[in-house]
Parts: sequence; structure tokens; C-alpha cells
Amino acid sequence: MIRVALAGNPNAGKTTIFNALTGLRQKIANYPGITVEKKIGRAVAGTQEFEILDLPGTYSLVPASPDEAVSASVLKGERSDTPAPDVIVAVVDASTLARGLFLVSQLMELGRPLVVALNMTDIADRRGRSVDPVALADRLGVPVVPLVGNRKEGVGLLLGTLASAKTAPKPSWSPTADGDPVLAEVAGRYAWVDVVTAACVRVSTPRVTISERIDHLLLHPAFGFLTFALIMAGLFVTLFTLASPLMDACQNGVTALGAWLTSGMADGDLKSLINDGIFAGVGGVVVFVPQIALLFLFLSLLEDSGYLARAAFLMDRVLHRVGLHGKSFIPLLSSFACAIPGIISTRTIEAPRERIATILVAPLMSCSARLPVYALAIAAFFGHWAPWQQGMLMLGLYVLGIVAAFAIAWVAMKIRGRAGTSPLLLELPAYKVPQASLVLNQVWHGTSAFLTRAGSIILALSIVIWAMTTYPKPHEDDLARAEARFHQAWKAPDGVTGDDLEAQRSKAQERYVAQAALEHSVAGRLGHAIEPVIAPLGFDWKIGVGLVGAFAAREVFVSTLGIVYAVGGDEEDTADLQAAIRADRRADGTPVWTTATAASLLVWFVLAMQCISTTAVVRRETGSWGWALGQLVGFNVLAWVAAFLTWNLLR
Amino acid sequence: MRMNFKIAAMTMTLATLATHASASVTAVTGDGSLRRRLLELGLVPGVPVKLLRRAPLGDPLVIQVRGYDLSLRRAEAERVEVQP
Repeated sequence: MIRVALAGNPNAGKTTIFNALTGLRQKIANYPGITVEKKIGRAVAGTQEFEILDLPGTYSLVPASPDEAVSASVLKGERSDTPAPDVIVAVVDASTLARGLFLVSQLMELGRPLVVALNMTDIADRRGRSVDPVALADRLGVPVVPLVGNRKEGVGLLLGTLASAKTAPKPSWSPTADGDPVLAEVAGRYAWVDVVTAACVRVSTPRVTISERIDHLLLHPAFGFLTFALIMAGLFVTLFTLASPLMDACQNGVTALGAWLTSGMADGDLKSLINDGIFAGVGGVVVFVPQIALLFLFLSLLEDSGYLARAAFLMDRVLHRVGLHGKSFIPLLSSFACAIPGIISTRTIEAPRERIATILVAPLMSCSARLPVYALAIAAFFGHWAPWQQGMLMLGLYVLGIVAAFAIAWVAMKIRGRAGTSPLLLELPAYKVPQASLVLNQVWHGTSAFLTRAGSIILALSIVIWAMTTYPKPHEDDLARAEARFHQAWKAPDGVTGDDLEAQRSKAQERYVAQAALEHSVAGRLGHAIEPVIAPLGFDWKIGVGLVGAFAAREVFVSTLGIVYAVGGDEEDTADLQAAIRADRRADGTPVWTTATAASLLVWFVLAMQCISTTAVVRRETGSWGWALGQLVGFNVLAWVAAFLTWNLLR
Repeated sequence: MRMNFKIAAMTMTLATLATHASASVTAVTGDGSLRRRLLELGLVPGVPVKLLRRAPLGDPLVIQVRGYDLSLRRAEAERVEVQP
């Protein structure tokens, strides 16, 4: 088996060639201890097997980021976890030939066989700088395989060349006379590059490229932001409108499947575990899948088309001010759907400090799981406001999260100082039509990363929360008290008779039993136990139980509260729950829920870090428990203080 | 202010270049990895560069060098000295 490493500049088309070479025979892991992806695949030509390693894009073997450090150390054979490659494939973008050949001059000095894969020759032709591969191979003394990566042309030829590649000759550059050693070296290499390109590039009149025309509009001083806002708003609206029917279908499907599977079973704990623990948990995971998959679809379309770099360019000024990076924008935008794909997508930020800062503040973007809670509190306590005022309040909650995120990022930057922030050196690649196989591959990997990293935790928590809300079981006298409460509270509705009346009656009775069971359970007791901590925020034990449930996923707050108030756990129709919480009274007759309580609860939900799955993903993506736990504790303290101030100022 | 004016008059950098203006790199100042990287990206003395555009808020900039478009902040562009 021959070990092959793919090296090359970012945007040179390495991943396209990697996919073309390996097909679906690939796996993605991490280099131990760091969050740089290690992509390995297999290829076969005749009887010869190849193991192909796709290295992170790099401009030089003198690394400037953790990603580049991995590439440099693998290529030099300095890593204990990755053996040195037998053959190096230098993927060179023909349209940026000089910069690619600079890296080639370094790769040729490693004393290993080297093959140049010349990519994007079509773009070079259009720009009036056609590259002659024969002349290039002649000048370099290594094989040059021209290929247009996204058409699989030349991939077979490339594999054939790999098996017979010989050790590359040393490039014949010498340091220039002027200046310091660094300048002398780099200028010397580029002098060699200029000689090579002069011999193999055929210059013709360039056509005005499509990229220039598109950038003229998309990066225009006035229209640039407008088109940017339109694109982002378009993606965002599509994300929510397209995903929501699919999401409902997913959840209903899973619930129905659980009910069907257990239809033959007797009522009892096992049936309840399967339906309310396991299938509710699976449903809670699956419900996010359409939105997450769409999100990864948009992300890879943006990245593959070349617009991602433009978005970073447009937003850098604002984000850099608060210690973030132009490339933080897309992960933060994704976090409005769910922080987990947002945090996973921070991998595009090469700057380590800015990446951590983005991961830190991403959960403050109001995710879609918070929406049901916002909707409930606004409908119940601000329902008398005009619709536009309610809309402004909702918008205000989103803005509060954004302001808090920027403030925290800014404070973190001030504490750590400007030193150590990364420069912005961002290539704006030529626009291209995204390639379906590449995009689908990314959607698959992103979605499966969500399912394995977050899904397992959501499912486990769902089962834990089920157990906490089920055990210990209520005693006989608890149930008797529930019966009594039911008889006292329930009145037969007017105009309903016969079987309908009986059905409503037994449903209502069930709700009172469920309420008693929940109050008696661990979760119910926990709600009481944490009352001293949450009372200063205006919350009573019932809200406490809801907060316990919210640790499985924030939207569970609404259904848990529904059970606590004996109105049923329907997340869609909360009219009964709204009436119940408005009517709830403390022992002294004052209302439990006031406008101040609702406001305090909203502020809590904007700022608090309740999502354990996010914490697990943060731990994985930062490689340390420190950031994950610091974020968990820090944001909850912040949320507590903010909710405390809100309640005390408004009551 | 006069001091600044004098310095600006003496040395022209990528950051002070007019939009759409072309120039030739004369030096990359400063030290450390950022200087090395600017050189490695192709900004060695003698290479022609063109300032393609500035972001709507004035920063960062896009330059064209060696046939590709590179975006960099003003802070980085100030390190690249040019002459028309």
C-alpha cells in the first residue's frame, strides 16, 4: 500500500480531488489532542492500493495556524500519530500558479517523491494565463498531471503516476542578496517561481471574468451590504419556512411509530419509558435534523461558491472590533437555528483565539428551541399589546442575545489584550458553481456529526429526565388528593353531553393524576429544592420543574409546565397553559406570574446556558473542559444576575 | 498632524493607495510571522499590486497580486510599502 498525502493552498481544490480519488471510501477523524480534521480515504488502481490523506490547506511549510502546523509536521514526518507519506501530491491551482509553486519549491526539498496535480486549468485559460503542463513538468523535474478536479478527468492518470513517482529533485533557487534571511529566502524562491512560470505560462488577453463582475455588485460600497443582507435574510427565512413542515412531520412520525410499537403493550413503566423517554428523545433529536441538514446545505453552498470569504470580508470590520473575526459571522448566524452546527462550523476560522471567542458566544444567539418559550411568555403576558409591539419584543430578545454576545467577546478581548489576535489574510477565490457531490458530502458529514455528538446526549438526557419525572411514584394518598382537587376544580363544560363529556372528564382527571405524579417525582422535588435559588428571580417551584425539564432541550420547558399546570403537555396549542399560568395564585392570593415574572423568565432564557449537548460539543471542539464548564457556569451566573435585576426593576 | 503628514508623504503603503491604483511593492516592514506570511503570499519587492476595492466600512481591503485576490486589514496593509 502506498501512502499519499494531498498538500496544497487553501481553495486549490484538494477536497474535490480527494473525493474523486476515494469516492465514498473515506473517514474523518481528529488528530489527537487538537481539533484539526484528519481525512483519510482509500483508492485502488489495478492491484495497487493507496491510502490517501487530505491535509489542511497551507500556504507554506512555515506554519501560521494550527491547521498549517499539522500539514507541515505530517509532510516532514514529524508526527507520531501519522506516518510520513510515501508520495506527496501537490495540488496547484493553475489560476494562482505562482503562489502554488512557492509551496512546491518547499515540498521539493522534503526528499520524497512528488507529483503536481494541476487543477482549475479552465479558470487559468479564461484569465489569459494558460499553463503548459509539459513545459511545467520539464522545468520542475516532477510529473505534472493536469486535471479539472470536478470532472474526474485525469484522476486515473494521477493514480497511475503515483505508483512510479521518483524522489523530486531539489529546486534550483538561491537566496537573493538583499535584506535579511527571511526576505532573501522568500524573494529567492519567488525569483525561481518567476523563471518557471515564464517558461510555461502562455499569456493571452484575459476576458473580464465573471468573478470580477459579481464582486462589482456583491462587494459594492453601497449595494454590497444590501445584497449581503438580502442573501442572509433569504437563507434564514428559507431555513425556517422550509424546515418547519419537515420538522413537524419528523416528530409526528417518530411519536406515531412509538405509539404503534407499544400499542399491544399494557400501560405501565416500560411502555411509558419507550414512549415518553426513548421515542420522545429520538423525536427530540430527529426534529432538528431537517433544519440542521438545511443549515449545512447552505453553509457548504456558501463556502463552495466562494461567497463565504466575501461575507467574512464584509463583516470583518464590525466583528474585529469586538475581538471576533469576519469568518465568525456565518457560525453565529447558524446559531440562530442551533448553536451546535454553528460551533461545528467555526472550524473554518483558522485564527485560534477568534475561533474560541466565537464558540464562547455562539450559544447567546437565540436558537429555535427558545422560540416556543418566547412565544408562550409573550402570548400569555404581552398578548394585550399590538401585534407589532409583540413583534418588537420578540426582536428585542434576539437583539439582547446579540448585544450580550458582542459585550462578552469584547470584554474577553480586553482582558486578554490585542496581542495574539490573528491578522486577516483571506483569499477571495473565484466564484464557481457549487459541486453537488462536494456539497452533499458536507451535508452528510455535518448532519451525522450533529447526530453522533449531540443526538446521543439529547437522547440520554431525555431518558434521564423521563426517569426524574416518573420516579418515585406517587402514593395512594397523593392520588386521592389529586382526585379531590380534580372534583373540586373541574366543571362540566356547557353543551357537551354523553360520550364527549365522559371523554373530556377522564382526560381532565388524567391530567390531575399526571400533575400529582410529577410533583411527587424527583423533578418535582428538585423544583421545590431549587426554589430558594430561583425565588429571587420571581420563579416558584413550578417554573423550577420546567427549568429542570429544559436541560433535556429548552423547548421541553413548555411541555413540562403544561403537565405541572395539569393542562397537558401540548407544545403547539398553549391557550390552556396561558390561561392557567395567568390564573395561578400564591398562598397569599397574589399572582405567581406577573409581567415582571414573564420578563425575568425571558431574560433568563436568552442568556442562560441550559443546553448540555452544546456544552458537550464545546468541550469537543475546544479540546478542553475548561471552556465548556466556564461557559456553562459563567452564562448561568450572568443570566441569574440579569433576571434578578429584571424582576426587581419591574415588579 | 504635520508629523503624520510628513510620514505619509515619504512612504506610501498599500493602505494609502487609491482604489483601483496600481503600484509596485518596495518592502514589507515589521517582523515576525506576519511579515513572513505577507512575503510568502507573494508580496515580495518588485511585484506589481493593484488595490481592487475597500470594504463598505473602509476596512478591510482587497488587493490583486500575482493573479489572485487577497483581502487584508488596513493594519496589515500598512506594512506593505509600495511605489507607483
